[in-house]
Amino acid sequence: MRRVFLLAIVLAVMAMMAIAATPIKIGAVVPLGDITGDQASKAMRLAVEEINAAGGVLGRPLELIVIDDELKPEKGAAAIEKLATVDRVDFFVGGMSSGVHLAQIPIMKRYQKITIWIGAASYLCENAVGPTADWYFHLHPWDYQQGESYGRGWSDIVAAYPEITTDRIFLAYEEGGFGTASYDSYIALQKLAAQGEGTWAGVINDFRGESFKSAALGGGDYRAMLQQAKAYNPDLFIWAGYDADALPILQQAKEIGFAPKLFVGAPPGWPAHFGDSPLAEGVTLYGMWAPTLNKVSPVAEHFWNAYIERYKEEPATYFAPLGYTNIYFLVEGIKAAGTIEKAALIKALAELEYDSPIGEVLTISPSNVIKHQGFTAQKILQWQNGEQQVIWPLELKTSEPEYPFPKWEGR
Amino acid sequence: MKDLEKSAFWKKNSKLIYLITAIALLALWRPHAILYGIQRGSLYSLIGLPLSLTLGVVGIMNLAHGDFLSLGIYVSYMFFMNLGVDPLLSIVPVTLILFGVGVLVYKLTITKVLKSGHLNQLLLTFGISMILIESLNVIWTSRPRNVYVPYASSSMTIANFTFGTYELLYVLFAFAVLIGFQLFLKKTRLGQATYAVGQNPRGAKIVGINIGFVYLVVFGVSIAILGIVAGVMLPRSSIFPMVGAPYTMRSFCLVAMAGLGNLPGILISGIVLGIGEAIVQSIPGYSGWSDLVFFGVLIAVISIRSMRRLAL
Repeated sequence: MRRVFLLAIVLAVMAMMAIAATPIKIGAVVPLGDITGDQASKAMRLAVEEINAAGGVLGRPLELIVIDDELKPEKGAAAIEKLATVDRVDFFVGGMSSGVHLAQIPIMKRYQKITIWIGAASYLCENAVGPTADWYFHLHPWDYQQGESYGRGWSDIVAAYPEITTDRIFLAYEEGGFGTASYDSYIALQKLAAQGEGTWAGVINDFRGESFKSAALGGGDYRAMLQQAKAYNPDLFIWAGYDADALPILQQAKEIGFAPKLFVGAPPGWPAHFGDSPLAEGVTLYGMWAPTLNKVSPVAEHFWNAYIERYKEEPATYFAPLGYTNIYFLVEGIKAAGTIEKAALIKALAELEYDSPIGEVLTISPSNVIKHQGFTAQKILQWQNGEQQVIWPLELKTSEPEYPFPKWEGR
Repeated sequence: MKDLEKSAFWKKNSKLIYLITAIALLALWRPHAILYGIQRGSLYSLIGLPLSLTLGVVGIMNLAHGDFLSLGIYVSYMFFMNLGVDPLLSIVPVTLILFGVGVLVYKLTITKVLKSGHLNQLLLTFGISMILIESLNVIWTSRPRNVYVPYASSSMTIANFTFGTYELLYVLFAFAVLIGFQLFLKKTRLGQATYAVGQNPRGAKIVGINIGFVYLVVFGVSIAILGIVAGVMLPRSSIFPMVGAPYTMRSFCLVAMAGLGNLPGILISGIVLGIGEAIVQSIPGYSGWSDLVFFGVLIAVISIRSMRRLAL
């Protein structure tokens, strides 16, 4: 009897040790060929290494499996299938392109694993996920939330700095899906504003848009569009294109002598060393994060230093701190729940408050369709002396806005 | 006698005179568009000219043409970043390097498919294109880069008409390359041999011309010319692995519009298409139609030409 009892204890200890050694598997799908996906995956790895070095979570290590979706919907969908069936991961994380995500959502719905997604801003993805998917957490603001947040931002800025006006807005948008969606959302926001509704009410009085062909898609000649913008004489000129358009647009604006009071760029990323160019000075931009947040957020500062130490390169896109947030948000939720059991973890994540390197505390609230939406706003930033400074939210600002946009002479 | 001479001159140059008159009239309506169109059209021609030579003489449909341009732009960028060489000065070393690359690619791959059908040639050059794009992606990532030189955004104002002057270099280089090609083909022994090979390779071989050598030089030179384009484009363009790719299709369009072996036609076609594109872009609300106009003009020209041939 005594021998049987001893054997049972040994077996129980061995079983517990086996469970403890079993890693919690996280499956990530990102486009590794693109800087956003590359840096997001590196930041995820950094977070996993830090957590494992500190003893893991629930006494178990984390294992991160990253698959490249190559920005192709079919590859993104196949990656989710593989992570679910071959790698048998516990959670899905990652994300970038809305087009890729639309192909992944039906497969995610089949497996219904807890998913924390940091990309895919299109409202079409939200509609595809639907209101009943309580296992789905979306951290990036949806496109309509971004548009609303810019309106809130400009309202606050105009109120805080009376010399700044945004009455006449000219939007230059690339003629593909990304730019056209931006144009459509501005039209919708302007209609609301004209009726005295929405966040843009009182900020925008007159609006015009003109398309251009992005350099990324074989274009690169913006002069015809810029001539039209110059003739319109806007208070705020904004272009929605890609990183490849950033400097050529400025060069050509300089060439024709077009210097609006506010020159705003809204690409998903910026070209390498953009801030080093004299043309970048005073350019305003939208983004979730800027390196200068290190000055006001200890979490952002820790992330910045750890990333550079680990990879010997600087995070250059907000998808790096978002990738880091992706892992930590999940792990903090597991800690709070004390288990990876689905219902308990969903509840814990929905109630979690995570101080993120984005500069804000991440909390979950419902959006138009889904139950679990994370961030709801972008920030308004400005290139000043080669650095991105935060000019809105005002409580997070790292510098005063440079206004008006500096003249071209001497640049 | 003078009337006869006049009539012959008119007959020979009437199309060109009509074209110049049309451009002058359009310039009164949209002066910026005409200038931008000539500048951009010259860039298309500058890239299309070497492709026309390869297609006309070697008979290779090089789908990697634009990707060799991307490679040249990256090499020029490296000269600028690492050695501080001005992009326009880097034209000399980049042209030589690309000539070497062209010769190597020709020796290692193109020679193997010279006698194969067009499908094999297309597959081979498509493969080269993929290798070039992915190599650039692996080495430099897809993140765009730029160089800044103040003269690239220089401008001039004449009676309230402000325009950029840098892209006039495209016009200058397009004419220079065209004249260079014409002189090479007509005034040098190798050029005359090239011309003969382009006309009748078998006949050229019978009279003792080393066809393989001619093909090698023509392919190498056509890639080398992209080194000139790379140096001129670098100050005005973002640099990313796919930067040159869209120009391949445009270059094929120019060759189709001008006709095989018609080098001056490439320049004229480029300028006509460039102007068409720029005029559409200058009309508020219609800039998205510029591609449609580009290919519409192309289809119209090819259709009219084929109808004329049928009528003869």
